[in-house]
Order: sequence, then C-alpha cells, then structure tokens
Amino acid sequence: MMTSKLPKKPPPSKLAMFGYPFALLFSFYSFFQIGFNLEDFKRNLANRKIVTDPLFDPSWQWAVENASEALLETVQIAILASILGCFIALPLSFYASRATNQTTLTYYLYKSFLNFIRTIPDLFWAMLFTVAVGLGPFAGVLALVMFSMAIMGKLLSETIDSIDLGPMEAAKASGARHTQAVFNSALPQILPNFTAYFLYIFELCIRASVILGLVGAGGVGRIIETQRIFLRFDRITPIIILILGAVIGIEQFSVWLRRKIL
Amino acid sequence: MNTPEQPINEKIFKYSITLLIIIASLWSASGLEITPERFFSAPGKIWNLISAMFPLDLSQEAIGRIAPKVAESLFIAWAGTVIGAIFSFPVSFLAANNVSKNALSRITKQILNIIRAFPELILAFVFLPITGLGPLTGTLAVGIHSIGTLGKLSSEVIEGIDEGPLESIKSSGGSKINELLFGVVPQVMPTITSYWLYRFEINLRASAVLGVVGAGGVGAELINQLRFRDFPRAGTVLVVTILMVLIVDTISAAIRRRIIKGREIKV
Repeated sequence: MMTSKLPKKPPPSKLAMFGYPFALLFSFYSFFQIGFNLEDFKRNLANRKIVTDPLFDPSWQWAVENASEALLETVQIAILASILGCFIALPLSFYASRATNQTTLTYYLYKSFLNFIRTIPDLFWAMLFTVAVGLGPFAGVLALVMFSMAIMGKLLSETIDSIDLGPMEAAKASGARHTQAVFNSALPQILPNFTAYFLYIFELCIRASVILGLVGAGGVGRIIETQRIFLRFDRITPIIILILGAVIGIEQFSVWLRRKIL
Repeated sequence: MNTPEQPINEKIFKYSITLLIIIASLWSASGLEITPERFFSAPGKIWNLISAMFPLDLSQEAIGRIAPKVAESLFIAWAGTVIGAIFSFPVSFLAANNVSKNALSRITKQILNIIRAFPELILAFVFLPITGLGPLTGTLAVGIHSIGTLGKLSSEVIEGIDEGPLESIKSSGGSKINELLFGVVPQVMPTITSYWLYRFEINLRASAVLGVVGAGGVGAELINQLRFRDFPRAGTVLVVTILMVLIVDTISAAIRRRIIKGREIKV
C-alpha cells in the first residue's frame, strides 16, 4: 500500500529567518528604551483626575467665544496652502516623471527635491518658517504649502509615470513639440487624478493646520497651546470637539464634491 | 477648420470651479493678511535661515546630545507601531463586514473613525499630565492613533479576500476559528504586514514632532535650538533627522516590496 507523502515544506525565507527575530528583539528593546514601567504607570494613573474630570465638564461658552475666530483662521490656512501647494506641484510633477521628462539629470533633480521636502515633517517646516518669516498664520501657510506640495508631487508624478503614452506619441507624430504634447496629451489624462488628490490633500491640510498653532504658526492650535499650559482641560475639550466637528464636516463636503466631480 | 463645440454645461462647470478656487484663495489670503510681496520675500528669508545653519555644528557635544534624541524618536515610532499592530489586528476582524456580524462591524468602524480623528499631538498632550513628560506619552499617542488607522486599513484588506478557502474549510468541518486562522490570516498577512511597515514610516515623522509638547523625541531639541537662535545646532538636528528618515524609508520600502512580491520558490 502506498503511503501518501506530503510535499516537503519550503524552508523559511531569509527575510523571515532574520526579520521576525529582529523585529521582536527591537520591539522589546524599544519598550525598554522608552521606559515602559508598569509601577510608574499605575502611580501616574492616579493623576488622571487632572485630565479626566475637567474633560467631562466642558465650558462651552468660553470655547465658542474664543476659538471660533481661530478655527476660521485654521480653515483659511488649509484652503490657501492646499491650493498653492497643489498648483505649484502640478508642473513639478511633470518634471519628476519619466514619462514626460526626457533628461535624466533634471528628472533625478526634481524627484530627489520632492523626496527631500517629504522627509521633513510638517511641524518642522512650521518651526523653520516661524523663525524665518515670523510668528503667525503666514508661517503656517508656508509650512503647509511645502507639506501639500511634497505629497501632491509624489502622488501625481507616480500617476504620470503610468499614463498611456499613445496620445503623446500621436501628438508628436502630428508635429507637436514636446511641451505641446505634454500639455495636450498628458495633462488631460491626469486631471481627474489631480482633482481627487487635491481634495484628499485638502483634508490632510485641515487636520495638519489644527496643530500648527502649537509652534506659533497660527490657527486654533494657538488657543489650545495657551490653555494646555494652564491645564485648563475644561476649555480644551469643547475646542477639540469643535475641531472634530469642523474636520468631519469638511471631510463629508469633500467626499461629496469628489463624487460630484469624478 | 471646424471643431465640434463643447457642451455648454461642462464649460460653465469648469469656469465655476476655477472661480470657486480663486475666490476661496483670495478670501483666505485676505483673512490671513497675506500679500503677494510677503509671499515672494519668503524664499529669500528661508534661504537666509538655511545658510545661517551652515557650517553645521558637528562638535562631539552636539552629536552626543542629538543622537540619543533621534534614536528616541525611532524607538517611539517602533513601539507605537507595535502597539497599533497588536491591538488593531483583532479589531480589524471585528470591523470587516465579511467575517464579522453586520451591526458589530458598523460599530467597530465608527469607533475606529473616532480614534483616527484625533491627531497624535492632541492625544499626546491629553496624556501628558497622566503619564508625564517623556517618551512613554509619545508612544501611547502614536500607538493609539495607529490603532485607528491600521484598523481601518487592515479591515479593508480582510474585506477584499477571496471567500473560496473559507468555504472549503467550512465544508471540511472547520470551525469559525479555523476559518479565520487558516482561511483569512494567510491571505491578508502580507498586505497587513506591509501596512504595518508603512505606518512605521509615517509614525517616525509623527514621533519626530512630538517633542514639541514634551512627549519625547527630537522635536524638543529642534524647537529649543531655534528659540535660542543656535542655528548651526538646529541645522544638525534637521540633517540628522532627515538622514534617519531617509534611511528608514529606504529599508522599509525595500522590505515592503519584497513582502508584497513574495519569494521565488525554485521547483
């Protein structure tokens, strides 16, 4: 009688053999490094009343009177920054794509420029701009322009990489210069994507602009920062709820608009 | 030569969108008191700041102060991602509407949405009085935010699986647990692992800024040096952070590509 023989299991891959133990060790090491200590944690948990009691006793009137203007400023920062950032990124992404940029050198230059901007977190930009141009919403706008430019540049240049090259070839065959071919054949292909990304980045900017005020770059974060220092969590709670309401409302609007346009 | 006329509706639509964009930016710019002159002077000012940073402060003392802070950001990001991964994994099964009950899935998704709505920094300063100044606060903030985002992404992966293996496990007498363990997990694991790594890359940037509120990491170092107008040292902080982010991004992206592609098995 023949015994059925199972095929031999392949040995674990190199990635699995080294990756899993490394990930596990690194996790333990990280938790050790950040000083996770159950005793301290329990002791500190007794302090929670400082936060939790006022957290559930919000003073609404104060928040509506003092924060609504700053909240409007936040929305304005996000609108201006996402529009500027995305429209600056539009031409840049054509340079940062293989499909539309034929010179290897400038392709790598633009590509690495966009990558470089992306490595700096949004709040770092905000800190740098508050030093360079002074405290206030202008620094916040500039920081978010960099932020949205980097994201749009990455998303859009990757979209341009994957466009259909046929229309461009057709335009060139009928005598168009390279710029003309890009304008008339490549640009229309990516405009729907551009609109979708723009709305997505606008949502990201709304979220990011909330915290800009923590470093003095304008918006509602400014109000949160001052109240935070005095541990007035009864004032912070309603502001956060207002922000959440605004963020969710704007996101719903943007989802609706996206469905309408695309 | 005659070109066919465009339908008028689309034209009006395009113009109104353009008008909307222009009005929105003008309204915002006037509300924030931003003029074109200020805009065009900004690149020069940021250039002045950057040139003030060079040559970088590469003294032993500066590096000795900055390097541990950068490493701390790395640990916060990794530990936060681990917290996010551990908790979001079971939750994502509850949130996926094809393996969970309908009502349960809807409730879980709403909870994840609410968690996601809080930025890490806001979570961080709510935790600050409880867990104290230091990296633990940052880790909790990053971790909890990651539960929201990873839970959403993972549940979407689970919703996209092929139902065939589940049916075959059921028909050969497997329990619901067997279905999840041998039907769902092997299908979703590569994508979910790569999402974990992707989240780690994002968390690294988030943990870098957490220092602003005192929740550990390199952010505190940058804001302090900028406040004291010690630009060469601020430049060192920036450069070291950028280098770390670039290195981690490159390694993580390579691993993600390998995980998604799978290994070639020679037969």
